[in-house]
Parts: sequence; structure tokens; C-alpha cells
Amino acid sequence: MNFNPLPYPIGQAVIFWLILFGSVTGIVLAIALFTSLVARGLKGPAAVLGQVRDFAVDMIRLSPRRVFALSSLTFKEAIRRKALLIFVVFALLFMFGGWFLSGTGERPDEQARVYISFVLRVIGWLTLPVVLLLSCWGIPEDIRARSLHTVVTKPARRNEIFLGRFLGFSAVGSIIVVIMGVVGYFWIVRQTPSDLVARVPRYGDLAFLDREGNPGRGVNVGDMWEFRSYVEGATRARGLWRFKDVYPGDNPDEGLVLESRFEAFRTHKGDMERGLLCELSFFNPETELRVRHRPFQVKEFSQNEIKIDRKLSMYDEETNTTKEVDLFDDLITDGTLYVEARAIDPGQYLGMARPDLFIRMANRPFYVGYAKAVFGIWMMAILVVALGVTASCFVKGPVATLLTLTFLIIGQGFREFMDRMVFQNLNNVLAGGGPVESWIRLIRHMNPQVPMEPGVSTSIIQFVDARMFDLLWIVQHIVPDFRHFRMAPYIANGFDVNFESAIVPGLAVMFGYLLPCLLLGYFSLKLRELEAK
Amino acid sequence: MQTENVIEIRNLSKVYRDFWGRRKVQALKSLSLDVKKGEVFGLLGPNGSGKTTTLKLLLGLLFPSDGEIRVLGKPAADVDKNERIGYLPEESYLYRFLNAEETLEFYGRLFKMPAEERRKRADELIKQVGLDHARRRQLKEYSKGMTRRIGLAQALINDPDLVMLDEPTSGLDPIGTREMKDMIIRLKEQGKTVVMCSHLLADVQDVCDRIAILYAGELKVMGRVDELLSEQDETQLLTSRLNDEALAEVRQVLERHNAKMLKVGHPTASLEDLFLRTVDESRARPGRRFMPGEDGAAGTPAPAPAATPES
Repeated sequence: MNFNPLPYPIGQAVIFWLILFGSVTGIVLAIALFTSLVARGLKGPAAVLGQVRDFAVDMIRLSPRRVFALSSLTFKEAIRRKALLIFVVFALLFMFGGWFLSGTGERPDEQARVYISFVLRVIGWLTLPVVLLLSCWGIPEDIRARSLHTVVTKPARRNEIFLGRFLGFSAVGSIIVVIMGVVGYFWIVRQTPSDLVARVPRYGDLAFLDREGNPGRGVNVGDMWEFRSYVEGATRARGLWRFKDVYPGDNPDEGLVLESRFEAFRTHKGDMERGLLCELSFFNPETELRVRHRPFQVKEFSQNEIKIDRKLSMYDEETNTTKEVDLFDDLITDGTLYVEARAIDPGQYLGMARPDLFIRMANRPFYVGYAKAVFGIWMMAILVVALGVTASCFVKGPVATLLTLTFLIIGQGFREFMDRMVFQNLNNVLAGGGPVESWIRLIRHMNPQVPMEPGVSTSIIQFVDARMFDLLWIVQHIVPDFRHFRMAPYIANGFDVNFESAIVPGLAVMFGYLLPCLLLGYFSLKLRELEAK
Repeated sequence: MQTENVIEIRNLSKVYRDFWGRRKVQALKSLSLDVKKGEVFGLLGPNGSGKTTTLKLLLGLLFPSDGEIRVLGKPAADVDKNERIGYLPEESYLYRFLNAEETLEFYGRLFKMPAEERRKRADELIKQVGLDHARRRQLKEYSKGMTRRIGLAQALINDPDLVMLDEPTSGLDPIGTREMKDMIIRLKEQGKTVVMCSHLLADVQDVCDRIAILYAGELKVMGRVDELLSEQDETQLLTSRLNDEALAEVRQVLERHNAKMLKVGHPTASLEDLFLRTVDESRARPGRRFMPGEDGAAGTPAPAPAATPES
């Protein structure tokens, strides 16, 4: 399981957005001013600045009543065009889906994971095509049928038309998501044999000590290093966690509950009936107080719950006595708790990643986490509507559909690949060069590690590749990262959806695209002749 | 520019271009005209003459290639001018999934009309255009004539000062045509300005105060209809029941004054008049065949007599 929720740097994201948005707007404005100056003389830049002023005026004078009228019309249109027939497909999937999903041999938590993933995937897969098609075809169809002529010849501003369409389709998407979400919830609860809860983890930071006790990065036992590193048993190798903001709960006598999901790597069979042993120690670097907790057997691929009492006993080697230690008063300073994890069995390894050990906070009801996961789908649907309506303002329905679908596919499926390529290129660690160089290497059967022969042709190839990577960089920064809306892994793994790691990035991406979409949609509608032949 | 002008067009040109900016067709060439407050102005011309282009430029649906347009004292691209404008497109491009009430409700909302006023106005207009019986039917079930009527109603929802009508009688039966013309005349009586473009000359003649005739994007003729149609070198006499003897005397008088009688005959009503009287009569007396002129219901005599050429 590579589930690793990381905190989202919202401050950095906002600054980056402001820089990017400001730069793009500035560049577009500069190009518009220059081309208009060349084409129309001094009147051109005045007209361009007039358009900017008109946008500001239209935003100030935006009428919520007209926006509501247009969104009501859009909603009515979608309903009367039978968009809600999608519920028939939904009902069919739910009526018979259970036949193919239930596995009696599976553990209850595995079954729940399958059901939850199924429901959330179905909601996403059914909602997105509907809102995508509706939003991409609405305005082009209005222009084709010239219904829009009867609207723009009324005092309806272009931003009101854009927002009316956007809100109307969003309302349709919202209804679909809410109804499917509610039905899906009851379906999951009925199908799942065990009680469902949303566990609330508090993650820490992880560092490693090597077999000599020096800082390191753990042992690589194969191709899993990217996520987990391994500590060798019966050595000084450790996984070292630091948890922040750890304070006593409502009941002052209670300690903490930790949960681990370490993975074992055996270099010899050992006792196959028994899990590898792991020992946790708590220590305070300021007082150098260290308390070892009793070892536990690691149950792989399942939850290992470790209860830590508030009062812990430790053996004091200096006085040869056993003394009592308070977890919060003696081991935690300023809310920071340090936990070491080590493997005990010699020759065996324990795999550890940051989310493999966490403090369990009080559970939340399952429906809370589930509602947040559905909210993630809703945010994705809203973004798809925004992109679809924007595209439909400057291209026809089929092209708008293809464009939005491309954004969706790249933003969901190719994002990781694209990020990796751009990262490797920027850090000069990309083996084999760019697309042209790779193609040449393929033809010539050249090893990616062998450098190209210096010369004019190599320079040209590398120049073209560099421009392609520039283009890829632009695409990477334009296409939304739809992975931020993927909240199903949280709830499928039995966790609550974390606000900082999941909801905030989702909201940031959604809102980050709304203003650029509004601008693009407004000017596309304003500057095009609706009746052009 | 003068303030009584509702529309002012100066040197307006429109060139349609393709995707690459290459000139496809010049739809208007340096058109200049004014429309005064309270008049019914007709734009005439054969297909492709530029009359609909002019109307769409006035509405801001197209952008001029050159020249200036002011509508109600504002540039054509200004959205605020639309507060006082009503527009009936050539085809009724309304939302077909709405019914008549919902249609007027929607357009009323775009004018930010209060709910009560909106409902009252919609009710009035639906009755006025004769769609009371079909107010809850979706527009996709409407006939072409009914669609034109609801189109007219939406154009009047805001009680506009300036009404632009693109082929207002297109697709209407003779009764609908007459009602549309009556409506235009009523709008004029209410002090509204009406601009219409049409190629149905009889309709234009019946309702327009002034006309402009366009051909290939150029203004060819503009003026008052009565002045433009008047033949100053001919005189028309219209009498009742003139016998042959009296007719011979009239001829002699004309010959004494060196004038020649060109046509003699009985006046005829227009076909439109005949059709309307037939329908009215049929409604009043169902099952009975209508015989024109039977009960003295001769109708309104036509202005021009159907002629027997005199040699």
C-alpha cells in the first residue's frame, strides 16, 4: 500500500498561482496591445484597454438575478433533455454490481475497500461524462440554434451568460453527485459486514538510522525504495518518527493509540507462523529519557494497533530500579513526540514509510469521511464543468468535448509521467534525452547512457528537444492536477479524508481554475461575432 | 448627431472574412441612414442585399468593419442599450423546451423585472398574441405561426422604445400577417420606433413610414413611402356607379384638356382583403358558402383600379 497523504503547502501554492496567473495575463495583454497597435494604430491599444475596462465594469455590474435566470434555464434544459437518465445506468450497476464484487474469502476490511472503491468510482465515471457533455455542448448549441441571439440582445452581459451556464450545469452535476452519493452510502453500509468508521491518523516525519546508528536512508531491498526503506533486524538500524502537536485528550488518564503497517522482508524463512518482531521506543532528546515498549508481532497488510498507556514503566540502569514515567509530562516536550521503531529478528528486515506509523485520534463516523470523498468527486465535476463551458465559448461542441476530455485524461492519467519527465529534465537526470534524441537512439540502437556525438546535428536535436520540454512544462502548468480530487484511497483504507492533505488541495485546484476560466470564457464570447458567417 | 434620431448609422461597412482573415464578401458598403423616434422604418432589398446584416450590426451581433453606429444614443456594442430594445429574429430562435409562460418569464428575468410585473406582462402578451390556449405547451410543439407570435411577445416583454423586427410576417398566415401589421401600427401609435426588414413589399407598404432599399450592400433609395410611390405625372379618379353615358362625358372633358384616359375598370379589393373577409364571414356563418359582394359587403376598395387598357 503506497498511500501517503502529504500536507499541501497552500501558501506556496497561492503565491505560485498569483505569479503564474499574473505572468500569463501580462503576456497576453502585452501581445494584444502590440498586435492591435500594428493593426490599427493608436486606436488599437485604446480598444484593448477598453475591453479590459469593460470586463471590470461588467464584473461590478454583474446581476445575480440574471445569472440565476440563466442558470435556471440551463438546469431546466438539462433536465428536459433527460440528463437524469444517467440514474438508470447507476441503478443497474448497483442492482447487479454486488454479484461480482462480494468475495466470501476476503477479510471484512478488504471487502469494504472493494465496495467503497466501486461506489466512488461509479459515481465519478457516471457524473463526469454527463457534466462534460452538457457543459461542452450548451453554448455551441445555443449559438447554432441562435437562441443565444435572443439572450445577448437583452441586457445580459457575457460574464452573466458564462456564470449562468456554469452554475446551471454545476447544479445538475451536484444533484447527480448528491443522489448517487446518498444511494451509494446506504448500499455500502448494507453490503459491508463490519462496522465502518473513519480513522483519524496523525502522521509524523520519518528519518532513518543505519546499522551503525548513523543517519541514513534505510536499506533498499528491491524496487520499493521509492516508497519504503527497510531496517535490518538486531542492529542499531531504526526508523525514527517525530510527531508534532501531541497533547493529552479529553480524558487525562488516557495515553495514545499508535497504528503501524510495517512490511516484512525475510532473508530466511525463520518462524513462518510468527510475524517479525518490532520494538517501539519513546525518547525525549532534551532529557535523553528513553522508554522501550514491549515488542509486538508485525501482522502484515493489516492494522497493528498499539496502545500506549499514559503511565509507562522503565528500567533505570543507573539505579537498577523500575520507575514510572508519564508519557505527556516526561517524554513529550512542546507537543513533540519521538518514536523509534526497530526490527528484533536477526537477518530480517522491516519496511517503513512515513505513513506506516501514526497516532490514532478519536474515530469519526464513516459517513463523515465518505461525504468528504464524495465532495472530492463533486469538486472534480465542477472543474470539468468550468473547463467545458470555457472551451465551449470559443470552439464548437465536438472540439470542446475533445479538449476537455484531453485535459481530464492528461490531468488524471498522465500527470505522474509528465511531472517525472519535467522534473528529470530540469535536474538533468533524464537518461536518453528528449523525444527526438530518444527516437534517434532507438533507430541507431544506442544505449541511453552513451552520450551523443557532439556536432551540429546533435545541437539541433537537443535544441528541438529542449523546446518540446518547454512545451511540456507549459502543459504541466496549464492542465489541472485532477489527482488532488482523488479521495477514495482515504476512505477505502478506512481513514477519514484529511482536510489539509486532501480537501485543501482540491479546493485550491478548483478555485485556481475558476477565475482564468471566467476570463477566457468572457473574452471569447465578447470578442466573437455570434452571427459570423 | 441629432437627439431625435433613435438610430444613427454613418459610413457603415461590413466585410465577412474567413478564418485566415481573407475577404469573403462585402455585405455593406458605406451605409449612412437615420431612424427617427416614433417612425416605422423598413429595410428592403433582395436576398443578400445586407438588410439583415444591418439589423444584426445594430444589435451588436456583428461588429462593423468600418463606420459608426449609435442606437438610442449608445454604441451598438453597449449592453445597456438593450434595456430599451425588443428584437424579433427572422426565425424564432427561442428555447424549444420551454413553454410560452416560461419563455416570457425567462426573458422578463433578464430585464430584472419584479416577479409580479413579469407575470402580469407575460399574461397580457400571451393574450395579445393569441396564445392563451397554448400557454403551457412547449415551444417545440408550436406551429411556425405560433412560434412567431411568441417571438413577438418576447420582443415586447420589456415594453421597448425601439423594436427591431426581422421578417416579421414570415411564416404567418394572412390573419397572422394582418395581426402583426396591426400590432406594428399600434406600436407606432404608442410612440415606439419600429425598424423592420422584409422582402414582402405589400407588408412594408402597409405599415412603414419610411423605407430604405438596399442592393448588394449599398443604399439605393431612401424616403417616405407615400412620396416614393406617388406618380406625380398621372392622376387617379375613383367614383361610384359611373354609367357609360357619364363615362363618355368624362372622356370628352379629358380630351378637351389634352389628357388621355389610360385605364377604365372596376376597382378590386386586394387578395388579402378578400381572404380576411372570407374567414370573418365563415366564422360568423359556419357552413354557408361565402359569395363576395353578395350582401353589399364589398369591403374596402383598393386604391388602384384593376384596369382595362384603353387604346
